[in-house]
Amino acid sequence: MLTYILRRLGLAAVITVLAVTLLFLIIHMIPGDPVSTMLGPKATEEMRAALEARMGLDKPLPVQIGLFFANMLRGDLGMDVFSNRPVTQIVLGQIPYTLTLILVSIAWSAVLGIALGCYSAVNRNTVGDRLTGVLSVSFIAVPAFVVSLYSLLLFAVKLQWFPAIGAGEPGDWADQLHHLVLPSLAIGLSWVGYIARLVRASMLEVMGEGHIRTARAFGLPERRIIFGYALRLAILPTVTVIGVGMGFLLSAAVFAEIVFSRPGLGKLVIDSITTRNYPVVMGSVLFSTLIFVASTTLADIINAILDPRIRAGK
Amino acid sequence: MNGQNIAWSRVGLPRRAFLKGATALGVLSAAGLSMPRAAYAAGGTLRTRTYADIRSMDPAFSQGVVDEEIQALIYNKLIQYKPGREWGWQLDAAAMIEQADDTHINFALKDNVGFTNGFGAMTAEDVKFSFERIIDDALESTNKPDWGPLDHVEVTGERTGTIVLKNAFQPLWSITLPYIAGNIVSKKAFESVGGKIDTQPVATSGPYLHSSWEPKQKTTLTRNPDWKGDPVAFDEIQIFHIDDEKAAEIAFEAGEIDFTRVSLDSVERLKSNPIKGATLEEYPSLYYVWVGMNLDNPKLQNPKLRQAIQYAIDVPSIMAGAYFDAAQPSTGIIAPGLPGHREAPLTGIAADVERAQALLAESGETNVSLAIDVLNKSANVTAAQIIQANLAAIGITLEIRLHEGATFWELGSNEDLELVLNRFSMTPDPYYATAWFIKEQAGVWNWERFRSDEFDAIHLAAQSESDQAKRAEMYARAQDLMEESGAYKFITHEATPVIYRNTIKPALRPDGLPLYRYFGVA
Repeated sequence: MLTYILRRLGLAAVITVLAVTLLFLIIHMIPGDPVSTMLGPKATEEMRAALEARMGLDKPLPVQIGLFFANMLRGDLGMDVFSNRPVTQIVLGQIPYTLTLILVSIAWSAVLGIALGCYSAVNRNTVGDRLTGVLSVSFIAVPAFVVSLYSLLLFAVKLQWFPAIGAGEPGDWADQLHHLVLPSLAIGLSWVGYIARLVRASMLEVMGEGHIRTARAFGLPERRIIFGYALRLAILPTVTVIGVGMGFLLSAAVFAEIVFSRPGLGKLVIDSITTRNYPVVMGSVLFSTLIFVASTTLADIINAILDPRIRAGK
Repeated sequence: MNGQNIAWSRVGLPRRAFLKGATALGVLSAAGLSMPRAAYAAGGTLRTRTYADIRSMDPAFSQGVVDEEIQALIYNKLIQYKPGREWGWQLDAAAMIEQADDTHINFALKDNVGFTNGFGAMTAEDVKFSFERIIDDALESTNKPDWGPLDHVEVTGERTGTIVLKNAFQPLWSITLPYIAGNIVSKKAFESVGGKIDTQPVATSGPYLHSSWEPKQKTTLTRNPDWKGDPVAFDEIQIFHIDDEKAAEIAFEAGEIDFTRVSLDSVERLKSNPIKGATLEEYPSLYYVWVGMNLDNPKLQNPKLRQAIQYAIDVPSIMAGAYFDAAQPSTGIIAPGLPGHREAPLTGIAADVERAQALLAESGETNVSLAIDVLNKSANVTAAQIIQANLAAIGITLEIRLHEGATFWELGSNEDLELVLNRFSMTPDPYYATAWFIKEQAGVWNWERFRSDEFDAIHLAAQSESDQAKRAEMYARAQDLMEESGAYKFITHEATPVIYRNTIKPALRPDGLPLYRYFGVA
């Protein structure tokens, strides 16, 4: 198991380096001059040259990449040229908001999706199964921005049950949770449907396998068969999907952070790309990549724990 | 968070300075330039919105409106903008300020303004430090041009001094002293942290304290308990960072903010279905939007062709389609209310298709195919599509090229640029508008490569002209020159519709921008 984990972590490190290098090149190749954006219309040539030198933009691109990685290993991602604050501090300040949003969204959608999927599989071809199917497909089909806007209009404007903007007062967990309800509903709803359909299909496949029939033949209680044997195997594809889904939720979080005016990594990336604030873009991209790679690696490790065939490389 | 330990000694104003100041104040009051404000002491919280996060709390590096909205609350200036529908200023930290001659401005500070964190009373040394540091090349302040020809500030007493200019500079009263570059910081405080700050103020003097900043979320300002000036209305001001105007409107409707700018396409809806307990007000904006033509491009060398384009563009259609009739057509780059605003453009506002067709025929150009570069905002895209249809009506094919922000603002150096739909921000002095169209700016911010010796001479002379009528004439002539070149078709100054809860009494500049320190309770 340890060998598997080490191998997986090594692969994750290689993927991170390649992804960050590629993103570095893409970001630096798109048109737009960060110096003009940062200094504004009143800047003199001397000021432009000084800022270019300070940002390292006067150096060849390969040197810039090398410097980025060298500084990164020292934990230095540079300074935000606008506010003169360390990029690491800026990005780390935003990550908790995005991670909380993603984790809460995936958690509630996984719990509900797995429950609905199990219910559908156990009650196959009943009215309840069909109703769950219709609901699941509807959840998948409704775009997140539609859910956002309608939930805002209904729950924030009309009923005023939930706040429309912000992430809540720092240190006040109840307030922060209150502020999480609508954004997590918006980006998690489609995942409920997706996970429910996935779990249903996996459960039906597993329920037809020999060991389940054997368990039934031994007279084991149905609840134990479903949750103890069938779900344990049926959940494997869901774990993988949730791992990869973290990446999709990162991009969905960008949207939610803008609509709900929440702080977060997504909003930071958008703002910094718009202003070609390279140090902040690269810092944000690095941490986004780390989150994505970490979540997929974690999903692989969990899969390996749950399924001995994976860690055995079969 | 800042401490609140203000302590400073009261030093009396020298007798002569006091007399001069009192005289100046009396004259200003009589002239209606200084107006007493109602004193509010209602308490409570004002919740409002900004469209971007703060970048710097150092006036030398302030990036514009967003930073200034907060700096105006925590710092003092010699003078501040006066809220209302007409541009003017009123005294702030200055007890007296007078233009002694073209290049000398005497001031005397009030004796009740002090800095937080034990940095003492505000003195003339602080004023000298604040203004001179911005023009110091070593600091590399992005706001150096705002101080124009500042030579130095002479300290004549503890609280008195003279601003000395190299030459007369009229914009000093409209865009320097009452705006970003006019903020006064504590010399001792800044020197204690190495001469400049970033997002954390080191000592402030205004009616509010910078209490906290949650990046990308909110700035909170609390009442300065040691503030000795006119009482302010709110115990706390919360400025939420909401990028999107539509999101801000929803937040307003949900009762989470008390004041916000709204989008132009919401004006009609908010008029026909007013939000209960709220008031919508429309203010003209200073921004200017125009279609520019690159005079250096071989495809646009024919003046008759450029004139044909000027006459073919139908501005009323653009107002209806792109601005929902919530904005007015412009006559130039200088908005109504500022010296130099023209009553009408030379090439008309509505399209004159017959004349445009005749001019095109006279030009001898056939199968004309051009491209217009546009920033990818919905109003711009719609406007470009209308212009495309307008030009198609006279037989010109127009391709629309969309760009996102950072790419668009790089286009100025592109020599192949043909037409461009452009929009510049503006401050309340015509000097700021003409500055971008002088020869020196060709290919930088003068994207049309418009070159006129007469225009440059006007720009230089008008900034020093103290006769306002003459100055207005000069700027009107400058805009005539721009239009006569055939490189410009002026579209609009846009508008600033704002909505606020009836429980508050907003204080706004004539262009609709908020002056939060003067907000009150209704």
